[in-house]
Amino acid sequence: MSQLIVSTAPHVKTPRTTKHIMLDVLIALAPAAIAGIVFFGWQALVVELLAVASAVLTEFVYYILQNKIWANPKDVLSKFLKQFDFTSVITGLLLALVSPANVEAWYMPVLGGIFAIAVVKMLFGGTGRNIINPALGGRIFLFISFAAMTAYPAASFGAILTGSGSLTTGATQLQSLLGGNTATLSPLDLFLGTGVAGCIGETCKAALLLGGIYLCVRKVIKWYLPVIYIAVTGLFASLLALDINVFLPSILSGGLFLGAIFMATDYVTTPKSTLGNIIYFVLLGLLTAGLRAATKLEVVSFCIVLMNFVVFLIDGFIKCRPFGYKRVKKEKPQKEGK
Amino acid sequence: MKAVKGKFFARGIHLHDEKSLSAQAAIERLTGVTEVVIPLSQHIGKPALPIAEAGQAVKRGQLIAKADGYVSANIHASVAGTVKAVEERTDGRGAKSVCVVIEASEKDETDFMPPLTNPTAEEILARVQEAGIVGMGGAGFPTHVKLKPAAAVDTLIVNGAECEPYLTCDHREMLENRDKIVRGVQYIKTALGIGNAIIGIEKNKPDCIAAFEETELSVVALKKQYPMGSEKHLIYCSTGRKVPLGKLPADAGVIVQNVATVIAVCEAVEEGKPLIERVVTVSGAGVNAPKNLLCPLGAPLSALTEACGGVKEEAVKYVAGGPMTGAALTGANSFVTKTSSGFLFLTAKETNAQEPTPCINCGKCADVCPMKLMPMQTAFYTSAKDYESANKYGGVLSCIECGACSYICPARRPLAQAIKTAKAELRRKS
Repeated sequence: MSQLIVSTAPHVKTPRTTKHIMLDVLIALAPAAIAGIVFFGWQALVVELLAVASAVLTEFVYYILQNKIWANPKDVLSKFLKQFDFTSVITGLLLALVSPANVEAWYMPVLGGIFAIAVVKMLFGGTGRNIINPALGGRIFLFISFAAMTAYPAASFGAILTGSGSLTTGATQLQSLLGGNTATLSPLDLFLGTGVAGCIGETCKAALLLGGIYLCVRKVIKWYLPVIYIAVTGLFASLLALDINVFLPSILSGGLFLGAIFMATDYVTTPKSTLGNIIYFVLLGLLTAGLRAATKLEVVSFCIVLMNFVVFLIDGFIKCRPFGYKRVKKEKPQKEGK
Repeated sequence: MKAVKGKFFARGIHLHDEKSLSAQAAIERLTGVTEVVIPLSQHIGKPALPIAEAGQAVKRGQLIAKADGYVSANIHASVAGTVKAVEERTDGRGAKSVCVVIEASEKDETDFMPPLTNPTAEEILARVQEAGIVGMGGAGFPTHVKLKPAAAVDTLIVNGAECEPYLTCDHREMLENRDKIVRGVQYIKTALGIGNAIIGIEKNKPDCIAAFEETELSVVALKKQYPMGSEKHLIYCSTGRKVPLGKLPADAGVIVQNVATVIAVCEAVEEGKPLIERVVTVSGAGVNAPKNLLCPLGAPLSALTEACGGVKEEAVKYVAGGPMTGAALTGANSFVTKTSSGFLFLTAKETNAQEPTPCINCGKCADVCPMKLMPMQTAFYTSAKDYESANKYGGVLSCIECGACSYICPARRPLAQAIKTAKAELRRKS
């Protein structure tokens, strides 16, 4: 007879583990990553590979240092792979998707990956312990360190068809929109990403939406959370501009879709309860639209990171209301007379 | 009567029920039991006081231990034979209790109570108490206490949900002993002085629903959802009433009885038979021939596995009860009690046991909690031994211990375990 397992109930578990969820996220990111390569050419592929490699290698080195297993290098790799859960691959890929496809600044994805994993994730305790989204942490680190981070090449099929490899850089659609110039590109162009300047992953909204639908079908994220974020941002932007025509361009330009579907829904940095999540995403939408109007900059990543710090307050504010709970009515002072 | 569609509750999980392993196996009587070990504590409340002594000859159905106080239950000999010993034994769960060990003899002498015809409410209540009937769904609360509710009750719900995977004992009982259930419901209605009775059956047992549609009992077809068999959720789904937090079903005007308990009440009234045997499901991929066995109480697990063709090598986990709420056994040294609904032999593929990884805060445990609690908060505060906060943010004290949170957790966190710890600590303090 083999050794019996003795544990508390339940004795059966779902086959789905953290690894499966992370693989689902990677599958959902694939359309956006491929669309980036189609739009920006081989440069985008190089940036993606660099960022992923840098993130995974950083985690590997950190793992060795943390567990002090350099003395016995034999089973280092097998031990590492046993606990590897693909989170650093996602972080690296997301970081690439929010970077410009600019190979000349090859050091950016590398440094960003190192910063995102080593500082933002591992220093706080690794998977499940980071306070802010690692990929966004990495992006903000690059954003305030290098000017090249804000030089976005414009996406077009032409770049890859002619094979010239030289991409024009210019102001993003959102920047021109916030500058008061509404009708430079049609909403359809914005949706498909043709001719849009921006980061690798944020141009093609169709690919992002496809990934988002996959995540919802696989029940990795709840469909209403990104919808709330995008809708609130669009409505509040329209309200601030007092013009409903702003709705579509404001939600379709910039990194809103990427942020709403893949960044803001990151499990670790969102509140625990459903009600808390709804509050969080509404506040996020208001903050994004407000800050965009005030600063005339693309601020989705900053807004998400700012809201990440508020998560603890939201969690502490919401208390449990179990099944069968009845609100205890406060006794009203009885009216005199009558 | 035609089945009515029941409500469903928010959250909960959809499990692979694996009932097909034993659902078609008709109930078989377990024979060839040479020795039974009957624990004196098979119910909630004080253990019974033994009145049989070593060396004494007993008949089947003879009283061997008397209820100690009101919340306790009588225990009867399940086989005819000689009492070998009254001693402390440890069962497979590690629980120690005083047991009466009886060596079975060849003769089958019975000592039942006289049958009752057209009994009054008092007679039925006295009979239920005498027969030592307890809730056979798993909790083991003495039925005579439950039949004298503190608040006014107007509806009896028979729990035929059987939401636990693998278990099919109630399923077979409902098919094979349908008329006993219908008559038992009549007796319980008389005892309570009420006119309303409902049987709630999950839709994954269409044959049972069809069988009860032929009777005059009202049938509610419940959605297949775990934990539908939990009292609070069953009451909500079949009547629409919510049991207030911290209150009993009687406070919502409802009393819930398991199908096996109803059959036991019927047999006690009509045949005078005390609670000395029950149907036990032996199932799981680790057993050669899954079966539903009618076993005398105290029958050793080894006799059950022998009747089912033995246990396979691959079985890595032995479970007493259902896979979601049952207890893991350390070996085959267990015996049938009034509350054992099944014994499962699970393989590694079924258990999916893995080492826990860090919590990724995905919130799936809160998404499936039928009580709308926050298991991750409980686990978090329990790890810091802050049980007050565990209750404030996690709602530990309202937990029904269904195990849905631990089932769904992708990081394999021991959530149900943390909740049980916090609950025990909070109870110890108060």
